[in-house]
Amino acid sequence: MKKIFILSAVVASAMFAANAQAIDSTGCGLGSMAWRGQSGPVPQILAVTTNGSFGTQTFGITFGTSGCDPNGRVSGGTQKMVFNFLENNMEQYALDAARGEGETLDTIAGMLNMDKQEFAKKSQQNFAAIFPDSNVDAIFVTNKIFEIIKA
Amino acid sequence: MKNIFLISLLLLSVSAKAETLSPEWLALGHYRPNVFGGYTASIDSDNFYLADNGRTNPQAELKATIKLFNEQKDKEKICLFQGRYLFLKKQGLIEESKIRCEEFEQFKKDLQPQGVTLLFTDAYMNNPSSLFGHTLLRIDTARKGTQLLAHGANYGAFTEGKENGALFAIYGLTGGYYGGWTVKPYYDIINTYNNIENRDIWELNLNLSDEELDMFVAHLWEIGHTQTRYYFFTKNCSYMIMEMLDAVRPSLHLADEFWLQTIPLDTVKAVYRRPDLVKDVNYRPSRQSKIIHRAKQMNKAQKKAYLAAIKDKDYNLKNLPDEQKADVLETAYQYVQYQFVKKEYDLQEYRKRSFMGLMARNRLQNQKARMSENPEGKSPLKSHESKRMTLGFGSKDGENFQEFSVRPAYHSLTDNNYGLLPGAEINFLNLKIRHYDSSQKTVLQQFNLLGIKSLSPINEMFHPISFNMGLDIARESRPDTQKEGYVFNAWVGGGAAYKPTDFLSLYFMNNLYGSYGGFLPHNQYIGIGFAGGAFVDFNRLKLLAEAEKIFATTWYGSQIRYKLEANLILTTNWGLAAEYKYNDRQKGDDEEEFMTSVRYYF
Repeated sequence: MKKIFILSAVVASAMFAANAQAIDSTGCGLGSMAWRGQSGPVPQILAVTTNGSFGTQTFGITFGTSGCDPNGRVSGGTQKMVFNFLENNMEQYALDAARGEGETLDTIAGMLNMDKQEFAKKSQQNFAAIFPDSNVDAIFVTNKIFEIIKA
Repeated sequence: MKNIFLISLLLLSVSAKAETLSPEWLALGHYRPNVFGGYTASIDSDNFYLADNGRTNPQAELKATIKLFNEQKDKEKICLFQGRYLFLKKQGLIEESKIRCEEFEQFKKDLQPQGVTLLFTDAYMNNPSSLFGHTLLRIDTARKGTQLLAHGANYGAFTEGKENGALFAIYGLTGGYYGGWTVKPYYDIINTYNNIENRDIWELNLNLSDEELDMFVAHLWEIGHTQTRYYFFTKNCSYMIMEMLDAVRPSLHLADEFWLQTIPLDTVKAVYRRPDLVKDVNYRPSRQSKIIHRAKQMNKAQKKAYLAAIKDKDYNLKNLPDEQKADVLETAYQYVQYQFVKKEYDLQEYRKRSFMGLMARNRLQNQKARMSENPEGKSPLKSHESKRMTLGFGSKDGENFQEFSVRPAYHSLTDNNYGLLPGAEINFLNLKIRHYDSSQKTVLQQFNLLGIKSLSPINEMFHPISFNMGLDIARESRPDTQKEGYVFNAWVGGGAAYKPTDFLSLYFMNNLYGSYGGFLPHNQYIGIGFAGGAFVDFNRLKLLAEAEKIFATTWYGSQIRYKLEANLILTTNWGLAAEYKYNDRQKGDDEEEFMTSVRYYF
């Protein structure tokens, strides 16, 4: 019985990995959040109930991670935080960066411990470098942001 | 003598109980008083109780909890009951625990709590479980940045594997699902409600002390590990939030108010009306609300350029001066996002359009948007109360009657719609009783189990479907024989609405009817109806006019119905209404009815 459980866990995780890559190949860029969010909170809830029998439910924070970085290309505390935020807020960040104001800029500036105005200005001025085309993904955008704030 | 002895014994035991069972402990254990004395806790999970009879015996549970912490052995349980730990330590009933709870410490570290906010999301007509809106809690964060990095704590039903349409309602009403807590980043919640379902969010920042905030987080951890049967109308998302807030501040007694029905908006009002509980209220409009708000502010040239951008991908806006472009481009971008969620483009087309808009916007680096992005919002806290009573006087085919009706929830089209979803009607269990003067009888006139109507206007930007459905048991009479009886009616229909001006909505609906009644010709009929109507909204005065031609399988069902309804809103919770109905029947006399009534919401 236990073996079957382990086996199914292996199969499940293999499926998850495949799934994660599938998401990455369609791009974790603009629009990925819309698809992910479409199913609402159901997948997380599903994960909770399939893992635990009644009464021993797992509880904690379910992050909206999406397998956008299956190979662990983003490292470091702050960088990872910015990445996790961006993979879920790309659409709004793109607009805020283009126009040079908005909530997502204030949020990332806070993470970077940077002046809000300064980060907004840098994002806007370097918009074309951060978003060279419409298919850029969250990893690229994260790395670009870190390049730009260092410059 | 014996009696006096018994009574004093009873009094003694009552006062003894009152001493040991502090309200804090009862609230923390989710104990609710039973009708015939004693308590039962609402949480279903066995792991929430340490004593064998802990669910019904708060004293035994208190003893078992003190023992748990004094023994300092069972790390798993000790680390689970973090709320009880805070309480008992403060009461001086236990010593400081030596056991480290790494998982709970991590949970707190991830949250970095700074405060608590109650969130109310508007009704969502596309999902039956969201018709009454939804509430959840936000644990505000001390992180640098914004509250986008806060976390939402949501109590909901785990519907996995049992979502099947008809069963969904049955399970939801009868406790077929378990409810539990999930915690997610606030930006995920914004994405789901604001951006995907296009529902406005209202944020009520609560005024909690540091001690209360600690208790909130500890208690969330405690009940986060439990599950409880979910009942759509009673023990639902909003009810559990009431018990949660009571646990943090027992003097609130919020859950006491919701023993019969729990409508999310009612719970939000209850919180708002408690003294010193709400600091301030914020409005976070949905993406659609933002788009509508800016589109409304555009001048003619801007509107034209905006439509060219969203329809023909023309982002040049040649005819606009630079300072008018930013608003148009930003709104067009949001509209593309809206359409993508509605699956109107594939990913490539969506990205192309988004990118064109972004590039054009970024070219205007010196320009800021001039229009406000967020509308002011009509606070649902100022809406009418959800229960309604009416008292009316009228005449039906020449016979006078008095009518009394009561409806536990929620809103009719002609009711005061301030703060509620415009064009949405939800009537639930509306009961009408009539007394007819000359025949000297008092009858159940109609029992409207459910009536839902949604009129959402179609325009250049949005193409929603309007719909209509309901179930009722109505007292009807045959025009040929004057025989009366009860008919069970069900109807469902779809259509479209248009809003040529701010105050006028025109609509048509195509309805299907199925009716059953023992005294009807052939006992039953099915029919198809074509309805057209107008809804006029002058804020204080609502007018509704509708005509419908029904073709049915029997002459009884085939008819033309005319309806006129007006409601003059006196105050938030009082209205003066008049209704006129005329049914053009195929046999016998036509039916005519008129009634004036007073509407009171409570």
